[in-house]
Amino acid sequence: MGPIKIEPAKAFEEVLTTQRKLAAALKTLREVDDVDFGVTDKEAVYREDKLVVYRFKGERPPTAKVPILIVYALVNRPYMVDLQDDRSLVKNLLAQGEDVYLIDWGYPDRADRWLTLDDYINGYIARSVDAVADRAGVDKINLLGICQGGAFSLCFAAMHPDKVKNLITMVTPVDFHTPENMLSNWTRQLDVDLFVDTLGNVPADLMNLCYLMLKPVRLNQQKYIGLIDILDDKVEMENFLRMEKWIFDSPDQAGEAFRQFIKDFYQGNKLVKGGLEIGGHEVHLGNVTMPVLNVFAEQDHLVPPSASRVLGEHVGTEDYTQIAFPGGHIGIYVSGRAQREVPSAIHAWLAQRSR
Amino acid sequence: MGQSPNPDWMNQWQDLSRHYLNAWQTMSRNPVAMPGVAASPWPDGFEQWSRLFTSGGGAQNETIDRVIDSAKGYAAFMQSLLGAAGHGGGMPPWTELFRSGFGIPGADAAAFEHPMLRALREMQGQAAPGFGNGFAQALGALNAFRAGPSVPAANLGELKAWLNLPAFGLMREHQEHYQKTAVAWVEYQEQMGRYNALMLKASQRGFELFEGKLSEREQPGRQIESLRALYDLWVDAAEEGYAEFALSQEFREIYGALVNAQMRVRAQIQHEVERVAADFGMPTRSEIDSIGERLQALRREVRAGGETSSRGLAREVANLRSELAALKASIGKPARPAASAVQPPEAKTQPARSKPDLKAVSKPKPAAKVVAIEPALALVAPRHRKPRKAKRERNAKRAVAATSTFASRIAKFADASLGAGRPHALRKTKKKQAKADKAKKKR
Repeated sequence: MGPIKIEPAKAFEEVLTTQRKLAAALKTLREVDDVDFGVTDKEAVYREDKLVVYRFKGERPPTAKVPILIVYALVNRPYMVDLQDDRSLVKNLLAQGEDVYLIDWGYPDRADRWLTLDDYINGYIARSVDAVADRAGVDKINLLGICQGGAFSLCFAAMHPDKVKNLITMVTPVDFHTPENMLSNWTRQLDVDLFVDTLGNVPADLMNLCYLMLKPVRLNQQKYIGLIDILDDKVEMENFLRMEKWIFDSPDQAGEAFRQFIKDFYQGNKLVKGGLEIGGHEVHLGNVTMPVLNVFAEQDHLVPPSASRVLGEHVGTEDYTQIAFPGGHIGIYVSGRAQREVPSAIHAWLAQRSR
Repeated sequence: MGQSPNPDWMNQWQDLSRHYLNAWQTMSRNPVAMPGVAASPWPDGFEQWSRLFTSGGGAQNETIDRVIDSAKGYAAFMQSLLGAAGHGGGMPPWTELFRSGFGIPGADAAAFEHPMLRALREMQGQAAPGFGNGFAQALGALNAFRAGPSVPAANLGELKAWLNLPAFGLMREHQEHYQKTAVAWVEYQEQMGRYNALMLKASQRGFELFEGKLSEREQPGRQIESLRALYDLWVDAAEEGYAEFALSQEFREIYGALVNAQMRVRAQIQHEVERVAADFGMPTRSEIDSIGERLQALRREVRAGGETSSRGLAREVANLRSELAALKASIGKPARPAASAVQPPEAKTQPARSKPDLKAVSKPKPAAKVVAIEPALALVAPRHRKPRKAKRERNAKRAVAATSTFASRIAKFADASLGAGRPHALRKTKKKQAKADKAKKKR
């Protein structure tokens, strides 16, 4: 008995069905509007260069006294946290009574090529935190860092513990040298000085293609084969296009910040090994003494769980909690289960610490 | 392994392919001229569909392009796999397929060509129009080597040796630069060859894993019954095989060397473009970058100064106002403290009833920036009463002490106002003042 038992007639029917779906796509695509994103109403409360800090408006005023500032990664656009009505971390946090702010980094161009990690962390983030704290009338705020933004938030909290009441990190790399970290493996022998000196800013397309190469066949081909199944479903198609737009809507990376991030984090692994200096300040995770909630995804191919879960061993706080979410790097914001579990877990954790 | 294809199955397959093509043409109502049965009817069918989607634009179209590209790869892959398996449903001769040079479309090493490398090659507008092509055209002598990996390694070595010959004469510098660029290009080709060889191994590993996964499905009930299931199994195996290599030390070294080699070529080309741009009096990227760097450094300085003045100085001014108010109170004249001023602890200890010696108070002259404070000092001029001598002396001592604190704060204020980078002039002023005070005391 062989492993393949495909009847030719059935195979033929499969291909014909695929063709029918493609035919239906012609009609569906005529009906699909240009996809929109960022569903929750918001107002800009602070601006600086290309950065804008937004405050989201819930259906009712927030009950939390201490606001949350979301610090997203530089490598993607932050609207992933508010993608659509039924897939929004922001909306769900607002519904729980939280007061939610977000840093939108904008799209760096050649004028931003010399921005360093110091400019981002001790500059942009620090001033955004001050702006949010001033507006809320508090001395400290809650920081929610996502992915690379989580690493930035850790650095900020270590250098300015007096400004952070509670720290939440989501899918955040901490130990960059774990064996499952493919991106780290690829960057270890990169001459990043030559790379940045030659390219200036690192083009977004380059970054995107690199991410696609983490799973080349699955992300470049299999995903689109799967799409054929939903080509005749307008709503599903819109959801897919929205996600697709987000995936490829990436900013260029400011050259100097990229250079330092690759050298100190990916190559030097200094966040856990020590010796990390940003703007002349030593970054020591032992100084992260405020309560920390670390949420990571168990099937994350970008930031392997092993890179995140070690955080508890390095921070100085006595109040450390971690949640392993069954899903991937993106699923942690957009899956149905994430909508139910992640915002409520964050809210409950914060509520316990606001008493 | 190595079984001959089942002729009945193959005939049936050909019939279905023909039938499929006819059905598709009817359904699309867009008959295409395709005499007989195409060699690869499934992918060709998707190709026809892709033409239908070429009108219009936007993100949807881009997505559809990707879908159709993937569908074509998928269909070609399926057709080849089933062709290979067309010997009664037994284990296909995968090893034979490898030896015959990867006849399976979409399943060869090219599937793993790193998009980063592709993007770097194709990147436009950064000194290298169409990375590889532009350079090779500029160096006609290298055109023969554009094929890269197909050039034997020995030839590349010989070429490198030739390119390392010393340059002479008036154009020596230029020739040396061209030779260096050519060497960089040859090294890049060498690294590309190493990378492609590694990807070939990854692809082969994927098929080994695929065979293993297939052999696990031989029991009834676990057999693969659809094209999609077969395809998904292949994807799982291909990804596993690729991941083994992509996480290896070998990949790290080869990939790093390849990207570095490519960057060296780009840097050389940029250098040449800059030279030509300078000849034409055009601004170059280096110049613009240099301006950008200086501008960013200047912004940091300005911001550092601004932050000190906005937050630190605001507090400092509030404290100074409080002290001033306390000082006024100490000389017996009711003063109106600033509404927002916070009384600093030391101010509370100031004597509230004495009058300072006007000369002692007004002596320390702060730097120009704090001149605006001076008129306020004038307010502390004593009223012309004549207290008893002992009391007067005691009060004067207290006032001098208070003034000394005040003066040091004013100096700090001036420091901050001038910024951390320019305290020198101020230090000089302070030194001068101290010297004068000393001399006065002696007198």
